[in-house]
Amino acid sequence: MKRSPIRHIPTALLLVTLTGAVAAVSQQPGAQEPPVPGGEDVTVVLEGRLRSQFRLAIPEFDGLTMLSPNLRRAADEIDQTLRTDLEASRVFRLQGPDDLSVLALTGDLTRDFELYRSLQNELVLQVDVRPEGDKVVIEGRLYHLESGDSILGKRYRGTPAVARRIAHTFADEIILALSGRQGVALSQIAFYSDRSGFKEIYLMDYDGANQRPVTAHKSISLTPDWSRAGDTIAYVSYFSGAPGIYLVDLASGRKQPVVTEGSLNISPSFSPDGRQIVFGRSLGSGNTEIFVANRDGTGLRQLTHSSGIDTNPSWSPSGREIAFTSSRAGNPNIYVMDAEGANLRRLTFEGDYNDGAAWSPDGTRIAYASRRSGRFDIALTDVVTLESRLLTSGGGSNETPSFSPDGRQIVFASKRRSSTTRTQVYKVELDGSGMRQLTNDGNNFSPSWSGFPK
Amino acid sequence: MNRKWMVTVWIGVLGLSVVMLGCPKKKPAPAPVDTETTTVAPADDIAQPTAPSTQADKTPDPLAGDIVEAMEYAYQQGLLGDVYFDFDKYDLKSESRERLAKNVDFMKAHPEFTFTIEGHCDERGTIDYNLALGDRRAAAARNYLTSLGARMDNIKTISFGEERPVCNVSAESCWWRNRRAHFVITGRS
Repeated sequence: MKRSPIRHIPTALLLVTLTGAVAAVSQQPGAQEPPVPGGEDVTVVLEGRLRSQFRLAIPEFDGLTMLSPNLRRAADEIDQTLRTDLEASRVFRLQGPDDLSVLALTGDLTRDFELYRSLQNELVLQVDVRPEGDKVVIEGRLYHLESGDSILGKRYRGTPAVARRIAHTFADEIILALSGRQGVALSQIAFYSDRSGFKEIYLMDYDGANQRPVTAHKSISLTPDWSRAGDTIAYVSYFSGAPGIYLVDLASGRKQPVVTEGSLNISPSFSPDGRQIVFGRSLGSGNTEIFVANRDGTGLRQLTHSSGIDTNPSWSPSGREIAFTSSRAGNPNIYVMDAEGANLRRLTFEGDYNDGAAWSPDGTRIAYASRRSGRFDIALTDVVTLESRLLTSGGGSNETPSFSPDGRQIVFASKRRSSTTRTQVYKVELDGSGMRQLTNDGNNFSPSWSGFPK
Repeated sequence: MNRKWMVTVWIGVLGLSVVMLGCPKKKPAPAPVDTETTTVAPADDIAQPTAPSTQADKTPDPLAGDIVEAMEYAYQQGLLGDVYFDFDKYDLKSESRERLAKNVDFMKAHPEFTFTIEGHCDERGTIDYNLALGDRRAAAARNYLTSLGARMDNIKTISFGEERPVCNVSAESCWWRNRRAHFVITGRS
């Protein structure tokens, strides 16, 4: 039995209450500013580039033995998720209970701090857990080992159902405190999947957990795109016949048509203010052009006029430009124009087939699928200098990239695993490291990474 | 719902017709079966009319009844058939024009039917661009039909891009069958 598309919403509401209950339990004066424990000693040289990383010890949670088996599982999930989030952020290099087992910890903070430091740690995260009815309470304190200062203190309380959410929330707090950067642990990825036997739109957490359907049209539904506010997804569906553009409101699960008349309306992309949708639309004679409409379908107007195919538009983060794919010069290539359809220029000159432009959050570059020697790889191009490089190489066909909200990672669909011919969603750091498969069930396509959660 | 089922049936029929081709009807001395279908021009595979069936002659007009059965019959008799395209192309090859000329005879002879031309692509292009390409393929077939005098008002087009392949193997033996304009009888006008 599939979960109802709106099933996750009560959970989300619950979580608002939950995070609302978060309390700072131990903030010392002056702890508001991210501490900078020494200059040079937190800066490590990695692959020839400077990168800040903090060495963080996280010993085993305290109080685990007081928990019922159910709450113990929740605490373990929080523990694991928190560590994974902190490591994935690349802000920290972690030492866990196994690394720390060589230390004869005393329980006396000052003495233990010295012990953690003896293993080159700069920070320690002390976490206490205790039961409270059917909820688990997690209390975490982050200390700067050298000064003994408490940097951050947080308390979370929730049922096992929200364990991962607690961990993501706490991880993003820690990342923000230490790096000044908003974390992405609470962001979501939309995609479409054939796992049910139909093609439906799905959502998952940024780490691939919690995959659930958003549509149940029992048809072909594809190519989701997030509104920046994170409350709506635009997508294409065939459920009423020809492919049309629809919106789904994630809180209510309510679907709403945008433009459905005509033989082909595809590849929607929200304007940054969420008021308009730009998309590909066939004129009826096999010529697809770029159109824009208000989100209620009114104000339809045509932006491109060429005899080639013009499709798959992507609105820039500033709202001023639209990148799209055109075959006007022969092969499909990426072009950019202003939001009124003027000032056209071509962005891609390498590869014989380029499609699927996705803007970096800062608007300085696009990622796209570029076919080189017969196979698609994810390419990155600077929109000003047109300097270009490949992010993937040597494994299956890689398509439909989308940037993480902090611009540090890209999610895409690929058949890169040789053991299967199925298409799966992967994510990777912009330097090409940290490749990770996020989906497994059926074929999974066209991921779209949300903005920062509001 | 009904249409979806019809399409499924058609995928089956198409598959069946290819199988039938590989297994010729019983002959005294069967020639070695050439299983490499790639040596046969694709369009001819499907287009090849089978010998008029004497069975069919005895039964009531097979085109008068159920639409799915009518479509099945039209395909089996070679009255209606798909046309195939090269990778990333939508122009009609000469065998496609021949096939479409046969289709248009059937369509003109049966103004009671409405038709949909589905444009399909193989998996090698991108999802989004293939949706637009499929639309071009369907439109190219429709435009040619109307140039031959077919009624425009009873022929619709729809693109499925690479979303509904007839064949799921990652090889040209399969891809060519997915790069097609597929003809479906969708109703009676």
